Amino acid sequence: MLMISPRMASGVQEKQYTPSLLSFFVYNPTFGPQEGEEEKKILFYHPSDVEKNEKIRNVGLCEAIVQFTRTFCPTRPAKSLHTQKNRQFFFEPENNFWTVMVVRNPMIEKPSKDGKPPTTEYQEEEVLDTVYSAVLKECYSMYKLFNGTFGRAMEAGGVELLTQKLEKFFYRYLQTLHLQSCDLLDVFGGISFFPLDKMTYLKIQSFVNRVEESLSLIKYTAFLYNDQLIWSGLEQDDMRILYKYLTTSLFPRHSEPELAGRDSPLRPEVAGNLLHYGRFLTGPANLKDPEAKFRFPKIFVSAEGGYEELHLIVYKAMSAAACFMISASVELTREFCEQLDGLVGPQLTLLASDICEQFTINRRISGPEKEPQFKFIYFNHMNLAEKSTIHMRKTASVCLTSVHPDLMKILGDINCDFARVDEDEEIIVKAMTDYWVVGKKSDQRELYVILNQKNANLIEVNEEVKRLCATQFNNIFFLD
Amino acid sequence: MVPYSSSLSVCPARCVSLLSVAVMDGEAPKAGVSWDSGTLAAVDRLRIERADSPTPGLVEGTEPGAGQKSAMFVHVQSFEDLTAEAVEEARRKAELEKSEGECSEELKVLVTEKTLEERCNHNISTESRSKEEDVSSEEWRSHRKHVFVLSEAGKPIYTRYGTEEALSSTMGVMMALVSFVEAKKNIIRSIHADGCNVVFLTKSPLVLVGVSQSCQSDRELLRELHYIYYQIVSLLTLTQLNHIFQLKQNYDLRRLLAGSEYLTDNLLHRLDRDPALLLSAVTRPDVVSASLQAAKAKSLVFSILLAGDRLITLVKKKDQFLHHIDLHLVFNLVGSSSSFREGEAWTPICLPKFNMEGFFHAHISYLEPASELCLILVSTDREDFFNMSECKQRFLERLSKRSAYLAMKEALKCPSYPVAQVGIPELRHFLYKSKSSGLYTSPEFPMVYQSDEEKERLMGLYQNLHSHMHHPNRPLRTFYRCGETENLLAWVTSGFELYLCFSPLGTKALAVSAVTKLLKWIRKEEDRLFILSPLTY
Repeated sequence: MLMISPRMASGVQEKQYTPSLLSFFVYNPTFGPQEGEEEKKILFYHPSDVEKNEKIRNVGLCEAIVQFTRTFCPTRPAKSLHTQKNRQFFFEPENNFWTVMVVRNPMIEKPSKDGKPPTTEYQEEEVLDTVYSAVLKECYSMYKLFNGTFGRAMEAGGVELLTQKLEKFFYRYLQTLHLQSCDLLDVFGGISFFPLDKMTYLKIQSFVNRVEESLSLIKYTAFLYNDQLIWSGLEQDDMRILYKYLTTSLFPRHSEPELAGRDSPLRPEVAGNLLHYGRFLTGPANLKDPEAKFRFPKIFVSAEGGYEELHLIVYKAMSAAACFMISASVELTREFCEQLDGLVGPQLTLLASDICEQFTINRRISGPEKEPQFKFIYFNHMNLAEKSTIHMRKTASVCLTSVHPDLMKILGDINCDFARVDEDEEIIVKAMTDYWVVGKKSDQRELYVILNQKNANLIEVNEEVKRLCATQFNNIFFLD
Repeated sequence: MVPYSSSLSVCPARCVSLLSVAVMDGEAPKAGVSWDSGTLAAVDRLRIERADSPTPGLVEGTEPGAGQKSAMFVHVQSFEDLTAEAVEEARRKAELEKSEGECSEELKVLVTEKTLEERCNHNISTESRSKEEDVSSEEWRSHRKHVFVLSEAGKPIYTRYGTEEALSSTMGVMMALVSFVEAKKNIIRSIHADGCNVVFLTKSPLVLVGVSQSCQSDRELLRELHYIYYQIVSLLTLTQLNHIFQLKQNYDLRRLLAGSEYLTDNLLHRLDRDPALLLSAVTRPDVVSASLQAAKAKSLVFSILLAGDRLITLVKKKDQFLHHIDLHLVFNLVGSSSSFREGEAWTPICLPKFNMEGFFHAHISYLEPASELCLILVSTDREDFFNMSECKQRFLERLSKRSAYLAMKEALKCPSYPVAQVGIPELRHFLYKSKSSGLYTSPEFPMVYQSDEEKERLMGLYQNLHSHMHHPNRPLRTFYRCGETENLLAWVTSGFELYLCFSPLGTKALAVSAVTKLLKWIRKEEDRLFILSPLTY
């Protein structure tokens, strides 16, 4: 992404470039052990138009780095290589299968006088390793969600099938990566939970039970409201990546047309069902359509002794979304979908308005919202719960944060410090801009607070954070 | 006093004298000098922005310790500033043409000095070079910090642990990685694994590689590699280094450096333990500079008086600056060997930050055989031994006349103090540096940090704080860390840098009040902490 810096006003035009994806590849060093066969090691390479020998050389460098690092730490594999111009991230998700992502450092291009070519200055300290290592891992998790492991493709159809699958998946997926807006939330990869009173929660649970009982084909169910999770029957790690897919890819794709207005051509055709607002986000767009196809995306989730393949049905009514997962061995028919629509549609519509009403009441009780003096990110490693008042809205394309990127990076620095020792810690820093940043780690939970109280001292900042913990987190953090 | 040996001032032995003074002192010497603090950051910007201060109205130059003489120690460009360095060098080149002219001659001497190793071997302390380690063993791998130096041909020059021979293939790989990335018009910086990082520094014709198994940041490790680089240059000069490798690309530099590894070992040891390295600071101000000033000679560039690990005074020729890196290398040289006690030594030395290309000639002697006080007179003239010796005598005479000598010796008796003197409960240790004078003070390590392991851990924590405070892109004003083993507070203003270590029982309120109290205490004790107040004629 190119941004023109404000300094252009001074007459010197500087161009600022944010970090960007240079290349992404997958290789297996055992696939071309003979000299001259190195190309066989490469299973996927983006961009594909790179010259063959160049690809081989770049993979060779990664192999060398990995091997060299083993000299010093045989049990801990190399994770990143820093160079002046870029950073490379390595991840070995399955034995001998390496995924590599190369990110170009942000840079500033300064025009020079006398018609010389502009000089480029790389900002080598801007990219946080933890953030992009997490992004790389997520690339693999997302591949695995829709394709199963690399090993599975190898068993089913050898290298040929694997390369096909990699090509098909990553060609599209890499275009959705927005490296310039990645931050601490990518490191956590958490799930935002919808806060709810007990009664409404029980209503949802009984809804899930009823549906699963009536439609016995359903193996797992997940329930979301407003892009936030309420109920899930999946394993945590599976839900984490499914949640990511739903909230950053599937939901935004469908909500953008909804927001487009009544007369917009983007607005989906109303299904013609006046009894409820339910509709399929995956599978058939309109049940009445005689041409409708009953194909759903397949996903892979962990099961006893391996993975199971499932159909993913996502059904939405107003702000409530229910995901139903059914074994892939079953063929889904029109009859099943009509049955589901008839059963779930009215109930989900009702439930959605219930939740909405409850939510509004709760908000009214908690009083009128004042612009708070602080913003925070909270993450719980045990249940993956995350909460951020820093991020306005995370969609597929943009992640809007309400604070300066440098402050976000300070949060990242503190997070790195926390990761180094396995004990409870607290870090309070004052940035050059006079913002205070507080990080707390206690018993698997992490909290980061940014305070805009320039004249406060350490003690006042501490008091402020204590108050925040008491009101928002029921005093989870006791460390003083 | 009888000169060490007049033959020492004759050509072939000059380098030898430097390389063969190899008996190590038993104890780890403390450094007196260190790095410029704002190494990578835009110093000017920080100065302007860091305006806050615990005492209102306190500006740079008025903080505690600032009143001490500051002119004696000038911070030149920090080492990363290579463009500035080149310009500086060019400027100085002219002045030092004389010594430069000697270089080629010296090179011949060095290259033909085949028996050098043999001559030195008996001097090398076996204790410091316990290198016979299996380089594939877990023990070798688990060393906290490895340092390797190699030539651009991939030939091993130095390794901190194990033997160079056993590591030649590893170093070959290092060089291959460096050249591969270079071939793409890029520069390799570092490799990271969980809890381990490998940092590369290419300084043609040398390549330095550091491997840290602790959580030391790349920047910290890099500055240490720079130090090692300058250490090697100080023995040979860059001109010689370049010349050697131009003549023979795969020259085995160990032949020239044999017997000097202890200097590098020692330097690495200091880097791990000495807080002064972190701050760009020295512990002692001007005391007897007047006496030193009077003892001048035409070719004398710098006069340095050390007391063990601390700088007492430095007198320089007008318009000449001695960079703290150079000064520290002098400290390391003197502190690494006890043979200078035997008389007056005359040795060539390159001060790489001053001029990478040529040798100075240093007259090194202790004021009294059993004294801690060591005088170093740096001259541009290699035939100047007797002149320097005479300077020293003049200095001694003046000193004793004014009874300053006695006073100085008295003050040296109690150089360190326990932190309890400050009277702040839960305060375990601190580092304080006045920015304008470049002086720093720090109490003894308390009981909790007495073991080498704990000392290094505390230093690691300070390094981490320092690294956060001086981040090149997002520096900080305050950093407070509350952990299970200690609480730490760092505070950087335009006037000073302060790092405090509290027991884990210390509260934030205590930390805040401790800062005010400590600053008051430092101001009160200023004269004593930064040791003697200047004497006047």
